[in-house]
Amino acid sequence: MAVVEREKLLEVKNLKKHFNVGKNAVLKAVDNVSFDIYKGETLGLVGESGCGKSTTGRTIIRLYEATGGNVTFEGKDVHGKKSRKDLKSFNRRMQMIFQDPYASLNPRMTIKDIIAEGIDIHGLAKNDKERMERVYELLETVGLNRAHASRYPHEFSGGQRQRIGIARALAVDPDFIIADEPISALDVSIQAQVVNLMMKLQKERGLTYLFIAHDLSMVKHISDRVGVMYLGNIVELAESDELYEEPLHPYTQALLSAIPVPDPEVERSRERIILEGDLPSPISPPSGCRFRTRCPHAMDVCASKEPKWLEAREGHWVACHLYDNELNTENKQQ
Amino acid sequence: MKNILELNNVNVSFHTFAGEVKAVRGVNLHLEKGESLAIVGESGSGKSVTSKSIMRLLPEKTSEIKEGEILFEGRDLTKLSNREMEKIRGSEISMIFQDPMTSLNPTMTVGKQIMEGLRKHQNLSKNEAKERAINLLKLVGIPNPELRINEYPHQFSGGMRQRVVIAIALACNPKVLIADEPTTALDVTIQAQILDLMRDLQQKTGTAIILITHDLGVVANLSQRVAVMYGGTIVETGTTDEVFYNPKHPYTWGLLSSMPKLNSADKELMAIPGTPPNLLNPPKGCPFAARCPYAMQVCVDNMPDVTDVTSTHKTACWLLDERAPQVEPPEAALVGGAR
Amino acid sequence: MSMHEKQLNNDLFQPAVRSSDDAEKITKESTSFWQDARRRLFENKGAVSGLIIIVAILLLAFLGPLFSHNGFDDQDTSRTNLPPRVPVLEKVGFLGLDGVDIRGVDQYKMKNQKDNYYWFGTDALGRDQFVRVWKGTQISLYIAFLAAAIDMVIGVAYGAISGYYGGKTDNIMQRIIEILIGIPNLIVVILMILILDPGILSITFAMVITGWTTMARIVRGQILKLKTQEYVLASVTLGAKSSRILTKHMFPNILGSIIITSMFTIPSAIFTEAFLSFIGLGISPPTASLGSLVNEGFKSLQIYPHLVLYPAVIISLIMISFNLLGDGLRDALDPKMRK
Repeated sequence: MAVVEREKLLEVKNLKKHFNVGKNAVLKAVDNVSFDIYKGETLGLVGESGCGKSTTGRTIIRLYEATGGNVTFEGKDVHGKKSRKDLKSFNRRMQMIFQDPYASLNPRMTIKDIIAEGIDIHGLAKNDKERMERVYELLETVGLNRAHASRYPHEFSGGQRQRIGIARALAVDPDFIIADEPISALDVSIQAQVVNLMMKLQKERGLTYLFIAHDLSMVKHISDRVGVMYLGNIVELAESDELYEEPLHPYTQALLSAIPVPDPEVERSRERIILEGDLPSPISPPSGCRFRTRCPHAMDVCASKEPKWLEAREGHWVACHLYDNELNTENKQQ
Repeated sequence: MKNILELNNVNVSFHTFAGEVKAVRGVNLHLEKGESLAIVGESGSGKSVTSKSIMRLLPEKTSEIKEGEILFEGRDLTKLSNREMEKIRGSEISMIFQDPMTSLNPTMTVGKQIMEGLRKHQNLSKNEAKERAINLLKLVGIPNPELRINEYPHQFSGGMRQRVVIAIALACNPKVLIADEPTTALDVTIQAQILDLMRDLQQKTGTAIILITHDLGVVANLSQRVAVMYGGTIVETGTTDEVFYNPKHPYTWGLLSSMPKLNSADKELMAIPGTPPNLLNPPKGCPFAARCPYAMQVCVDNMPDVTDVTSTHKTACWLLDERAPQVEPPEAALVGGAR
Repeated sequence: MSMHEKQLNNDLFQPAVRSSDDAEKITKESTSFWQDARRRLFENKGAVSGLIIIVAILLLAFLGPLFSHNGFDDQDTSRTNLPPRVPVLEKVGFLGLDGVDIRGVDQYKMKNQKDNYYWFGTDALGRDQFVRVWKGTQISLYIAFLAAAIDMVIGVAYGAISGYYGGKTDNIMQRIIEILIGIPNLIVVILMILILDPGILSITFAMVITGWTTMARIVRGQILKLKTQEYVLASVTLGAKSSRILTKHMFPNILGSIIITSMFTIPSAIFTEAFLSFIGLGISPPTASLGSLVNEGFKSLQIYPHLVLYPAVIISLIMISFNLLGDGLRDALDPKMRK
């Protein structure tokens, strides 16, 4: 497959992010997460709230300090101590788009100052005229116009604000953008605008995305590969078409069957896998496989042993004992 | 009488510093006994305001129902006194809100909160109310209701809390249940549980449901009829099948085609350009005209009439006028075709 | 419908011509946060009347002494303890501004001051009370503004450092504040004044020593909240330095809270100063502050009530109007009121 030959842009290995919450309680928001992102692709990361997908994104871009593991960007370690110059050049390569279009823009700043922030910090414009030219250009790139530059964020709608957020990220010409639920706060018709814009920008500028969301249908649409997270672990990772057509992990299967489809006939005839119960607390996750408490196929081994991260098919990784051939042959022998 | 609830030409306005915001403009709706009707629209389309005006939950100081009548079993709710309205609220018509966290009182046990309405509206004794509360919790699928009735909301998870909210809403056997984005704050797997529960309950109790949502998937799952709202007006209404398989209004086309389909090949999504109209100065003509790819000159200044496609399917669009050019909906809007 | 049919001709059913910019146009006038806040402030009647009273008192405090040819410490034993006498108003009997004391004796006639008018009367040393009251107001306001300004500088710096750096730094700095708050305020102030010589600066210093903690706590709280705001995170990912984040993102957003807190510091500083002067720890004669004037007048309250009345009224007016303005500012600047 083409994936193998492609150049790795970002490598995440055994990434851990733990938060101390009170005495002796540790919230393992991200626990041993590993994945690669190839140049020019979009990797989707889905999961329910509290599964650690946003924390993963924020840890990669150094908003949180990782508890363990490492992140390599173009062969260079992202974490650990760095000189100011290294950090700055890193900040120009990797950018982020945030979830809440109302909280992600400073209400006291005009749009031109918000967009030009990266230009100012990195000194990308020689003079004021050049700075404004860049701002106008960026505004037009995201489908707004010059007249908007001197206005304040509260005058814009959610979709427009989100595009301003994209323009701010683009101002420093990044290669890699982490989009942290960029569309979940937007209306359906506006979501499509933002997603189309992101895909257009990817084509034009060769961007690489990590697209974090809980909306599986949108993730499938925009992503080349998709990773599914549950309670701080990645449970399955595959090409998006393959994942949606043949999900292997029981959690992925349940998640996919739970999405309501805008088609009444399909809805009437569909058999859902309804998961019992709720997400366990990430402070004291279940032993062994974390999904076992809600899994319809749970076995004895699931409680005692953490499932291995294995390639069940080419390019299709899953962490589930059901697909562990060694284990299954062992069982048969017994 | 078939219609339990009827809205005739309802207009609701908010008074703000900048002027009058016409949030709902001439809405006509009816709800039949035991059916489930969905009101779909984006934020600011007026769907929540419509539902709150039925419950008379809009702030009295800043808003008013300017025109029209809301008939509940023949009585005009807009003319009732606050006292009379209190009797209807919670017992005849009840409501579920989006966020289960804020719609429960954190300092009261769940049981007390369910019993509150029962004792107020139905004059049950304490023991009777408790028994009924346990039955209600059982009905909404909460395990060990005898024990959990004494617990506080924070001891329940998000999905369980929404079940409790539903139990409270159903406590007095209401004839109409208004659910305002009941699953939006929940995760997909929990949403599926709640949708299942609501469908189940509707069959068991025969309560008519008004579902307010922006999610067409939820609509397809739960409701028999749909009303699509845009810019404070209803642009299309019909049975769920009619609206999904034979949509007539360009906005409905836009909504259906801007959702990616899980089982279709990657294509560019059909986005609706622009943003919804500002209801401070609502457009004179069709509210969707400014974003409509098929807009004609007539649309800008003239509000389209409601045209009957079938006896149940109505659309307010100039394209259905005989003088208008014939327009086919975009391929992406054809739900059946994409299947 | 039929009316429409006649008016609309077929030409209208042609595609509408629109420029692509229309869909993104914002019709509303551009307003900054401060413009909005000013409008909200001026809509608030209480705040406006508070503001007017403050401006009037400020003007009088500085211009008032110019109306009289007497200095604030010009003594003259021939005109001691004169009650107030105002031209024109002296003819309106019930106002008591006719120079007649409470025993019904016209003091001006008795002391041969028939041609003089002392608007607020004179004190036991024959000093013009009108001049002394406004001079006292000047001193009181000066102390209050100075205390508020120093509170602000220390409080903002301390709170910002504590909140922004967080962790251990925050922990230690907060414990220090708690210790300071734990010591009874009055004891610290009295000890300070006993050590230092009574005077404007020592009073201010004594008040500031514990006064800044309120501001520090409020600023810290705001900074902690802002630290997790997505626009601050965005700035971090763009590589902004701490100084930039603090000046561009945090300060403009906490300025409102700082102003509001200062607005409430001023009346409480005036009150503390008055209290200290009243118990004899304040300004030393012949300089006067509102508190020391009340203190002096209090000794002869039953015979010469005018000596207490005017300074007491002015203290009350200052306190009320600053509180009214502070409330108005809070409503106008509170980010929670804004969407």
